[in-house]
Amino acid sequence: MEKKILTKYIDDPNQVNIDTYLSHGGYKALEKALKEMKPPEVIEEVKKSGVRGRGGAGFPAGVKWGFIPKDNPKPRYLVCNGDESEPGTCKDRVLMESDPHGVVEGMAISSYAIGSHLAFIYIRGEFAYPARMMEKAVEEAYEKGYLGKNILGTGYDLDMIVHTGGGAYICGEESSQLNSIEGERGMSRMRPPFPAVAGLYACPTIVNNVETLAAVPFIINNGGDWYASMGTEKSNGTKLFSLSGHVKNPGNYELELGTPLSVLINDLGGGMLDGHKLKAIIPGGSSTPMLLPDQIDVKLDYESLAEAGSMLGSGAVIVIDERTCMIWVAERLIHFYRHESCGKCTPCRDGTGWLEQLISRIERGEGKPGDIEKIESLCGNIMGRTVCPLGDAAVMPIESSIKLFRDEWEYHIQNKKCMVKSEFAFK
Amino acid sequence: MSDDNNNINLTIDGQQVSVPRGTTVLEAARSIGIEIPTFCWHPKLKPAGACRICYVEIEKARTLMVSCATEVGPDMVVQTASEKVLQGRKAVLEFILMNHPLDCPTCDKGGECDLQNLTFKHGVDDSRFDFKKYRHIRDKNSTFDDLRIGPEIIRNQNRCILCYKCVRANKDIFGEQDLGAYQRGNITEINTPPGEQVDSLYSGNLVEICPVGALTNTDWRYKIRVWNTQTVDSVCSYCADGCNLTLWKNKQKVYRATSRRNDNIDEGWICDVGRYGYQVPMTEDRLTTPLIKKGDAQVPATWEEALGLISEKFKKIKDERGGVCIGGLISPNLDSLSLHTFSKFFRKILNSNNVDFRAGYKMLPEKSDDLYSKLTSLPFKIADIEKSDLIFVLDSDLTKEHPIVNLRVRKAITQKNASLFALNPIATQTGGLATDEMVYNIGALHALLNGLCVSLIDQNLTQYENASDLKNRLSPNTIEKASNISGIEVARINSLAKVIAEAKNISLIAGELLTSAINREELAGAIINLCLLAGIFDKGQVGVLSQAANSKGAEKLAVMPHLSERSILKLKQIWDNYPDNDGLALDQMIRSSIKEELDSMFIIGSNLMLEYPDGAVVKEGLEKLDFLVVADICETETTQLADVVLPLSTWVEYESSFVNLEGVEQKFNAAIKPIGFSLPAYQIINKISQGLKTPLFEMIDELIPEIKTLLQPDENQNSFETCAIEYIEEKQNPEFEIPLLVSNELHHFGYYTEKSNSLSSFCSEAFLEISPGLAEKLDVKEGSIVRVESEIGKINLPVKISEYIDNDVVRAYRNFSASPVNILQMRKRNVDRVKLTVVEGT
Repeated sequence: MEKKILTKYIDDPNQVNIDTYLSHGGYKALEKALKEMKPPEVIEEVKKSGVRGRGGAGFPAGVKWGFIPKDNPKPRYLVCNGDESEPGTCKDRVLMESDPHGVVEGMAISSYAIGSHLAFIYIRGEFAYPARMMEKAVEEAYEKGYLGKNILGTGYDLDMIVHTGGGAYICGEESSQLNSIEGERGMSRMRPPFPAVAGLYACPTIVNNVETLAAVPFIINNGGDWYASMGTEKSNGTKLFSLSGHVKNPGNYELELGTPLSVLINDLGGGMLDGHKLKAIIPGGSSTPMLLPDQIDVKLDYESLAEAGSMLGSGAVIVIDERTCMIWVAERLIHFYRHESCGKCTPCRDGTGWLEQLISRIERGEGKPGDIEKIESLCGNIMGRTVCPLGDAAVMPIESSIKLFRDEWEYHIQNKKCMVKSEFAFK
Repeated sequence: MSDDNNNINLTIDGQQVSVPRGTTVLEAARSIGIEIPTFCWHPKLKPAGACRICYVEIEKARTLMVSCATEVGPDMVVQTASEKVLQGRKAVLEFILMNHPLDCPTCDKGGECDLQNLTFKHGVDDSRFDFKKYRHIRDKNSTFDDLRIGPEIIRNQNRCILCYKCVRANKDIFGEQDLGAYQRGNITEINTPPGEQVDSLYSGNLVEICPVGALTNTDWRYKIRVWNTQTVDSVCSYCADGCNLTLWKNKQKVYRATSRRNDNIDEGWICDVGRYGYQVPMTEDRLTTPLIKKGDAQVPATWEEALGLISEKFKKIKDERGGVCIGGLISPNLDSLSLHTFSKFFRKILNSNNVDFRAGYKMLPEKSDDLYSKLTSLPFKIADIEKSDLIFVLDSDLTKEHPIVNLRVRKAITQKNASLFALNPIATQTGGLATDEMVYNIGALHALLNGLCVSLIDQNLTQYENASDLKNRLSPNTIEKASNISGIEVARINSLAKVIAEAKNISLIAGELLTSAINREELAGAIINLCLLAGIFDKGQVGVLSQAANSKGAEKLAVMPHLSERSILKLKQIWDNYPDNDGLALDQMIRSSIKEELDSMFIIGSNLMLEYPDGAVVKEGLEKLDFLVVADICETETTQLADVVLPLSTWVEYESSFVNLEGVEQKFNAAIKPIGFSLPAYQIINKISQGLKTPLFEMIDELIPEIKTLLQPDENQNSFETCAIEYIEEKQNPEFEIPLLVSNELHHFGYYTEKSNSLSSFCSEAFLEISPGLAEKLDVKEGSIVRVESEIGKINLPVKISEYIDNDVVRAYRNFSASPVNILQMRKRNVDRVKLTVVEGT
């Protein structure tokens, strides 16, 4: 069942106050790191924990920190990515608005580890309330001496800036986010150089997801080995899953990695809405390939989901029941990605637009023979050929929808209406 | 397999290639002649990887890679034309063409469009896109959705393929913020921020680098199809940077000028003056026949009549009063052949040294200015600015004076980590990039330079052996004194001294305010001291930049009355005789004419009435001449006073050369035949000489060896000595307290460019630039008219409030014929001072 670590005090409305946070043992990990550990030891501990990037890519955080060149004299920056925009995902938001000090503490420890004296938390523009909570937490931390000059008398200085975005999905992608912080248009940068080498203001920069950084205080308090003891061999620790769709109890659930998907959907989520059947599951946020009902026992960890043909992604599980037209789902998704494409590279910019026009014409009942093949071909021309992963994100669910529900797509074109019969369907 | 650390071996399409580490796959392929198509790539911009047309297949890579942004790796195996690559390219073209209007028949880019060419090459003749094309609509009544985004630039968003080259160049190379991308995804558009326009000096480059017809300029639009033009290699005739141009012509008309990339000089960027300056020769009001003054009128005449009259008059003066009673002034914007022929005509035929080219200068020295000429003859390379870790600019608003040197300075700072320090009497645009731009009290540069020298000595920052001796000779100068006079704090002077001493490679650049200052000889001395103390002669370069396209040529070809021993020796060698009289500099010529000692002047391409300080004196001088011959391309205030006016051809009409500020001679070719009956200056001079029965040449080629000899770089004359010259403060009339600077307007260079419609669309009238503080004090706003009055003249000018002026200096712009600001300038005063009275519009 649930393993509440990051979310232990999430339901305590006073957790946002620093006194409550302190009474729950808050900032102990920071104190321990600053007073008892050297930065490489912190990195070592995080490496040992095996915690992987919770934003979607799943790259080991400690390894990423190690990419900062040792001999670069420029200042270093930490950026906490709170631009949570992947449809279906709402886990960082909860952490920021209900346990903001956990995020601040994680950022502070991580900054210390990588040698940064200036950390940014980039929060998506629509998250006005979480941004307010984070600002309040940062302010309180300054007041109590957990941020600022000479933290806890250790001589370590750290400033923290809460930066809100303008509401672009692309700014969740790290290089676009760095452009945005610099005041530029949110557009992805070419890599290399990677941010760890030349990121914010061309200085070494580490960008980590909110959830990743929030796990750091627990790793420091309890040790990397303790964290690594949870989860599977390669997917360590716990992860927040945002369950949404046609289930009885949608919401955020913190699970040990490797927990079966059926536990999340049926036990915690209370199963499907009464009288309805499971049709498909998008397991890792809207950009991941879909799963079919017979795959419900797949384990929720990076490796098992990859084996099942999908991805763990950001941990947003979207459950779809039998009333739902898969073309409608695809149209809804491609509309989002077309709207959010930054406009930099050709395949994503023009490809998503074309895909949206094609899919929505099928959904409207105006599809033509050959449209499916055309969509597949366009997806092939986008996949892996764009500057940043937005292009891949846009086509993955469409490709998998056609692969898994091809008959439904064909029916839609031939019969100019939905195969499913429900009040949602296009008749 | 890599043979050493710096070279990487790889295979491209089966061919082995070895390239330096850090090279991109694209560049490596091009180095062995394999062409990979690009849209968003530009040799001088950082790769963006936006268009994706340059895909290649790299062994072991999961996906197609963009070659423009992928660095070569050891033993990489690259395919540039595999089936997968060709499919990828076609897919990109298909995407780009989806919403492209395909309005090629009416698009000015047709025939030279990258999109057209690549579509042709890859045979994409059909589209699977069966929806209505998206159209960016600005104006329902417009067919082609044109939007003017600058005085010269029209944007058609529908044609745009969003390669972002314009936005990137504008920001990264030119440092401008007036163009960006708006909206998102497939409705992204290139536009200016609200209320702004693309009006920088470099705006034309954005049109040139646009791969499609999304950005066009009014200059070229709808005038001609590119395949009906021929190209001619040319060189810019305006400032001394010497950008290489391509002229595009058809029959007797030039249609546009574009950059002909020369990495030593311009790196493929030209300023708008160079780009639109070709419009001057194309103007309707060119002089096409000689004119002879009869009574009050100048009436058209034949060349025979005009030349007969000139020969007769010159012969009479020469025979009766001597050749020294004729003065000669030629423009440094003219070519080397003409400058040399002019000098030869005066020295060999008239046996006189009365030749000058410096109409834009103040009170000219009556003897050779040795220190100054020594400094100006030092080698200076624009490309070497990049090698410097410190760029030290003295008295120069680089953007206005040397737009391309300015870009190189920008590049050194933004891409090569150089730092910039500037000493200017006014804040400049380039100074915005400076670590410290010291805006000193005008007139105080000499004191400031002396202070810097003292600071170097006092802080023990010099290895120069005679430093203590110099210190003694500079003894009345202290840092405190320099600080008091210049208004720059002692600490800043000291830290600048430290920076100069510690720099490893310095480019010292001095500009127009210094070169045209009355006390330039003193300033040159102070700079020499500074260079000796800080070792700059050994660790960098000193560029005292000459102003006009051929100023450097004029100096080297000795078109000056007072020459150094070396130059005289050189002339004696090639001509075997040299006039032993003391020549007159321009200022002396005017004064001699007023004293009726000079009978005649022969002026070519110079509008003295608008250029030389103290217009009233100039007028008197010219009017008192018995016989004035002026050759020019159009009627000017000066030709109006002439007894004979001769029609002059412009640089697009004949073949010759300019010598740029580095001393590099660059040949330009004739694009069209001379307009009307005009002739190149060297031919006019030779015809006059023929009239005197002594032709200078049969064939112009005869002069080339002489020119080559004179233009040879001086052998290293690094034998500098210190010279302490004391700073003397200039007395001023308390009634006129506001210092006045006079310079070229950003989009104008010389008095001709008013004739270019494009350049006038940026700015067409003179104005007075004042600081916001002064505007408040005077209670004037933008556009208010003020009377600017100096001790010798007054003029009304509209006010423009400038962010670059933060002291009480005001700046006026020369060469607008309706507002001749030279009437305010005093010949003998180093700093002009004025008072302002509000006329209207408070």
